Amino acid sequence: MVAANPAGDAGETYFLRRELVNELIQALATDDREVIGPRVEDGTIRLGPVSSAVDLPRGVGLDNAPGKARLVERGDDRLFDQPVGPDSWKRWTFPPRVTQAVWTDGDGTPAIERRLENPPRQITKKAFLGVRACEIAALRVHDRVLAQGPTPDRDYAARRRDNLIVAVECAVAGGTCFCASMGTGPEVRDGFDLALSEIDDGFVVRVGTPAGAAVLAGLPVNPATDAQFEHAQASAARVREQMGVTLPTDGLPERLIAAADSPRWAEIAERCIACTNCTLVCPTCFCTSVGQRSDLDGQAASSERTWDSCFTLDFARVAGGNFRTRVSDRYRQWLTHKFGTWTTQFGSSGCVGCGRCITWCPVGIDVRDELMAVAPPPEAAVVARPMIEALPVVAPLPPVRHEQHGTPPVKTTVVDTHRETHDTVTLRLRTDYQPLINGKPGQFVMPSLPAGASPAISISRFHNDGFSLTVRAAGASTARICALERGETLTVRGPMGRGWPVEQALGRDVMVITGGIGLAPLRPLLDWLIANRDHIARIQLSYGARTPGDRLYTAELDTLLLSGVIDIAQTVDRAGPEWLGRVGVVTQVIDRIMCSCDKTTAFICGPERMMQATVDVLHERGVPDERIWVTLERHMDCGVGLCGHCQLGRFFVCKDGPVFSLAELGPAFGIEGL
Amino acid sequence: MEEMSLTETASSQTPPLDDNLAAAWLTYSLSTATRGKLARMGRLATLVTGEVLMREGDPSDHLAIVLEGRIGLRVRVPERGPITILTVEPGDVVGWSAVVPPYRATSTAVALAPTELALFDGPPLREALASDAELAAGLYPVILSAVSRRLEGTRLQLLDLFSQRWVEPW
Repeated sequence: MVAANPAGDAGETYFLRRELVNELIQALATDDREVIGPRVEDGTIRLGPVSSAVDLPRGVGLDNAPGKARLVERGDDRLFDQPVGPDSWKRWTFPPRVTQAVWTDGDGTPAIERRLENPPRQITKKAFLGVRACEIAALRVHDRVLAQGPTPDRDYAARRRDNLIVAVECAVAGGTCFCASMGTGPEVRDGFDLALSEIDDGFVVRVGTPAGAAVLAGLPVNPATDAQFEHAQASAARVREQMGVTLPTDGLPERLIAAADSPRWAEIAERCIACTNCTLVCPTCFCTSVGQRSDLDGQAASSERTWDSCFTLDFARVAGGNFRTRVSDRYRQWLTHKFGTWTTQFGSSGCVGCGRCITWCPVGIDVRDELMAVAPPPEAAVVARPMIEALPVVAPLPPVRHEQHGTPPVKTTVVDTHRETHDTVTLRLRTDYQPLINGKPGQFVMPSLPAGASPAISISRFHNDGFSLTVRAAGASTARICALERGETLTVRGPMGRGWPVEQALGRDVMVITGGIGLAPLRPLLDWLIANRDHIARIQLSYGARTPGDRLYTAELDTLLLSGVIDIAQTVDRAGPEWLGRVGVVTQVIDRIMCSCDKTTAFICGPERMMQATVDVLHERGVPDERIWVTLERHMDCGVGLCGHCQLGRFFVCKDGPVFSLAELGPAFGIEGL
Repeated sequence: MEEMSLTETASSQTPPLDDNLAAAWLTYSLSTATRGKLARMGRLATLVTGEVLMREGDPSDHLAIVLEGRIGLRVRVPERGPITILTVEPGDVVGWSAVVPPYRATSTAVALAPTELALFDGPPLREALASDAELAAGLYPVILSAVSRRLEGTRLQLLDLFSQRWVEPW
């Protein structure tokens, strides 16, 4: 018996007798690590704290099928012969609830305590025991989505740092497993500190990293014999054969996106009960919402991030509407993102083939069957997909410094307020935060008051000492923002998003077309156009509102009209006899405007249906997609591409938009329920 | 609102109606022959602000093309008074009901600004359309396209896209 090489040559293989698993767990628990592993709990296999081998599911199997999971008492000594249960490791790397910020009212001024400024202090180091190949792939997917974008999720990065990954190669395939189809398993290839393969009387242990070797160093292990090693390999090969390849994935993203109008979506919706189970058990689903609450005496408020699901009714809700009211739309959203647009967005499929969504679907919907029905492959031949090699390996994530977080909360002071309409107010806010003063037309901020929601609000003007926001009192939080008075404080994060491509206006006719409060995001653009008037052929503003009393910036528009700097056509949907201006929709203003339409750049903001009608008119008049720019409204909860709500095709509207050209959006613009 | 007392402009002082029809987007695409026939049937007229061209429910005596100014189309809503649901801008038609049975005005048309019209009397226009297939084949499509455009606009208005329908959670 020899000790493992403490220097840790990756690739060395040892044999660990089964009765020594307790020692392995103790070794993993050094340095105050919490060991998480599989346990029998709630009538299934769950993940939870493991303090000794007694906690592990010895001799227990899990018989699973669509909508079914039953424990099976095998009576043998094997510890890890089960397919995965409902929990995935995201419960620890990306917990269901995380407090994001706490406001206290100690001296009468709301103060922000950013909990995440010291994340390592609160987060204990973890050892994950029993991580399957598909789950290593899932961790990699989360690393890409949450930690490797322009604005990393600091909480996730902190929780992923210093994880010890003890992988287990599956010796049985569950009835819903399809990792072989997704190219993520069943063999554990890399991304582990230690990898165990369970054989008759113990484990073949592969060392993946020096940290893994250090764990093994104190344990009485022998080098694995050839027979033991071959036994482990044969076991993995048997699992691959047992599972088979049930889902052909070649060209699947393209096939799915092309099937947006498939009648199958409505058929699935007759079975799907939109319970959200599939997204909660999915190891890669990452959508979250942030909720606010305050204690009863008003002394403290906090915001808490919780898992959300694209199957919930309010997931795609925006002011005045909801993009996905039908279950069929929500199912399509989930499936096309997971297996389709995820690939263009993040470079890999969002599915790792773990089968949880099939097992834990209460009505037994099998995504493999649905994918084959919605987007069948051109040929019947099913080809095994090679193991994915391209994803980045799971490596300890560097600490994310606070200054890397792109949008820290900034306190601003209200220096002026102006009531625009019965429910809309423009606040002029002072700040010396230069990124806000130097923001781009079309960018937005997320203002928040303690215990209030944080909606996305477009900047409606830039000033030398701050900026303006035009806010409609749509609910409790926005009503509180509208009620702010001079001298009061408003905390905002921003500027966020990509603004209008102002340079596209140079040397051209410009049509600015907007409706309702949509004029607000266009006002900084108009300011820029007017400041650069000499370089623009013609500026035509077409503005529609519900009634004359709902128009914004009326005095300003009157002055502009008189100045002759820009042409302005205003119209309202309905009016009383006192209104002598235009009545009708804004599309009927632009369809008769004389323009050199092939040389025109159009900037549009308004309800999406209004923008669609406007785009139809512009198409008829010959304005090309490359020069039609729209700003999309989607549910934005985080503003930095992490919460998932505003995902549209390959974009997160908040960070990749909200301004897009029609050429960029392609078919993603104007599809109902997308 | 004043009742209409259409002021007809003396023909000797006006440019030929044909030029007006050639410049209006509704009729510019008509063939020269069709436009000429139409021009010979019409006359120029002006409305002062507040003057009523036709009343909702009344027989449609005129079809007109707005050349300058603005006509408001109003419907009466009991207890809310007249609501302007659409304005007819230069180039567009008002009084299309003069050529579509039952030849009754679907709204009240009132000038919201000093307005100049190319005016066509309903009965002779209907007779001409019934007897002259070439005129009917030229004119009906442009009238239909104007009505279709109006229907499309009305649908968008019906959606009430700018309204706030409920209290939001933010």
